[in-house]
Amino acid sequence: MNLTAEASQTRLRPRARVSPQERRRTLVAYLFLTPALAFLAIFLFLPLVQAVYLSFTRYDLLNPPQWIGLANFTNLFNDPLFWHSLKNSFIYLIVTPILIVLSIALAIVVNRKLPGVAFFRALYYMPAVTSVVAIGMIFDFVFAEPAGLINGALRALNLIDTPIHFLTAPSSILASIMVVTIWRGVGYYMVIFLAALQSIPEELYEAAAIDGATPFQQHLRITVPLLRPAITFVAIISSIAALKVFDEIYIMTGGSGGLLDSAVTAVFYLYRQGFEYLNLGYAAAIAVVFTLITLSLSIINLRFMERGATDVS
Amino acid sequence: MSVNAVHIAHHKPLHLRARRWAANSGWYAIMILMALVTALPFLWTALMSSRDNSGNVFRPNRPPELIPYPGLIGWGEGLQIAQETGEYTVMPWEATADRPAGWWRDYAPGIEAGLEGSPLAPYMYPATTMNYYKVWHDVDLPRYFANSILVALAVVALVLLTCSLAAYPLAKMRFKGRNTVFYLILSTLIFPEQLTLIPLYIMAVNYLGFQDNLLGLILPFGTSSFGIFLLRQTYQSIPDELLEAARLDGASELQIWWHVLLPLIRPGLATLAIFTFVGSWNSFLWPLLMIRNRALFTLPVGLAYLRGFFSGNLRTIAAGVVIATLPIIIVFAIFQKQFIRGLAGAVKG
Repeated sequence: MNLTAEASQTRLRPRARVSPQERRRTLVAYLFLTPALAFLAIFLFLPLVQAVYLSFTRYDLLNPPQWIGLANFTNLFNDPLFWHSLKNSFIYLIVTPILIVLSIALAIVVNRKLPGVAFFRALYYMPAVTSVVAIGMIFDFVFAEPAGLINGALRALNLIDTPIHFLTAPSSILASIMVVTIWRGVGYYMVIFLAALQSIPEELYEAAAIDGATPFQQHLRITVPLLRPAITFVAIISSIAALKVFDEIYIMTGGSGGLLDSAVTAVFYLYRQGFEYLNLGYAAAIAVVFTLITLSLSIINLRFMERGATDVS
Repeated sequence: MSVNAVHIAHHKPLHLRARRWAANSGWYAIMILMALVTALPFLWTALMSSRDNSGNVFRPNRPPELIPYPGLIGWGEGLQIAQETGEYTVMPWEATADRPAGWWRDYAPGIEAGLEGSPLAPYMYPATTMNYYKVWHDVDLPRYFANSILVALAVVALVLLTCSLAAYPLAKMRFKGRNTVFYLILSTLIFPEQLTLIPLYIMAVNYLGFQDNLLGLILPFGTSSFGIFLLRQTYQSIPDELLEAARLDGASELQIWWHVLLPLIRPGLATLAIFTFVGSWNSFLWPLLMIRNRALFTLPVGLAYLRGFFSGNLRTIAAGVVIATLPIIIVFAIFQKQFIRGLAGAVKG
């Protein structure tokens, strides 16, 4: 079959608009694509459409979905806890600039050709491969009162009298969980920036040094502008990750969302409405609003960074 | 690069190496400080897991107990008797209903006597294995472990298969609708997975029978848009002449894919495998929703369960965390170069 197809192709190729060979090639191409497209269709495209549909319904898994128009969305806008959770998700975005600055600084440090530097790189990356659940529990021990790592050490050094309420005060719980996210992410983003740094030609720094630029000036004038694509990339992925934070919140609040819902974020609220209260239509509406927000944020991020890039060049 | 640096350093005389270290001491100070920030939470957990139930590490106006020495060491039943008498030894073949198998011994008294008067003595504490035995005995961590490995390996195999198949025509064949399909796949990257969570859950529970079924943790993650994108770029680096030659030899596209291309894109496959494995190994929310049957827990869900089960007993929880994290840390230590190179390569594209 193979041979006949090829033989006919040599004769027909110049004139036929859709040659049998071309048709066959298209067929083969789609055969290769079928498994992946089937998975995407069932587990991604179909649920995407259903999510939008469900957001206009009332549904509790037991009774069939009931169309209620925009009611979920109007309820959502009048739901103070939704706004509170959205506010918390946006507060969580503070981790993004901190992560970018810390991981660039760390990448610059481990980019030096020092003996043993590979060991340090690997060590910093280690939290990124550890599960968030384990890390959440590890930081329970670090933040524990009164005998955790931080409170215990500070008290032994007589620096504090009463323990710091890392996870038990509504005012500090979100900040404490953000510290964990930053701690886990720095090594991961460091590797991304390290790859970008290593693609910057050494000569640029040498030329700048000859012109009398201090190392700090060199990094400000050379490193930061040339890292811009990597910064855009990290800004987008880390801000999306920050907005959709769930695992850390669930583990470090014991699934409660913190005292007085102080650590409830948008995705945690989605989880609570959908899987604790079984308001699946309402949860789908949260997901739709949340998606619109993440999409527009990514677009703003891209625009902002692109404009910055043209300014530089 | 750093490998070269180490290499050269070994050939230099000692005093030059020392001078080099001294000149860079500022950088080492920063790196060591950061290393402490990274490692201390892990070390603190290990420290907690090896302590018995008496007292805190930090006590006001006394030195912290940071250095372990062997205390009550052993495995099996008879822990309480050993705590009272200092020893319990029943070998498995001598075990009866009254005297179950176990082996415990308290080394602390002997060592304490030897430590008498040593300046380090106030900083030391007797380490024990009892928390490890408790968590091993009460919670089926090995099974959660096996479940996690099974799920992660199956997801990796499926993702490698579907992505390497799909990326080939997208990179190397000309056919109708290629760009449309490519952008369709690429566009899925911008949707947060939370959007599909609710319908996927409904589908999984109502129609697919995924609740309490490990297939439910595997199939929804059977392909990856990111993986298709990554492998498409890897395929593109392969010269077309190679494919033409194979086609002239009469190889079918499937043969070309299997015999010619797959061996050439191995680095890309390794990167994708590492990413997929870590992602599956660490995933929490979906298995939390799908699995109610304790025998099917994955490790993260099992850890969360363990936390409730031993609530209040931080030391046993700490032992569970150590057992659960140590294997992945060991795997990472062995393959760390591939991990880091893989991530860097994926980003550079």
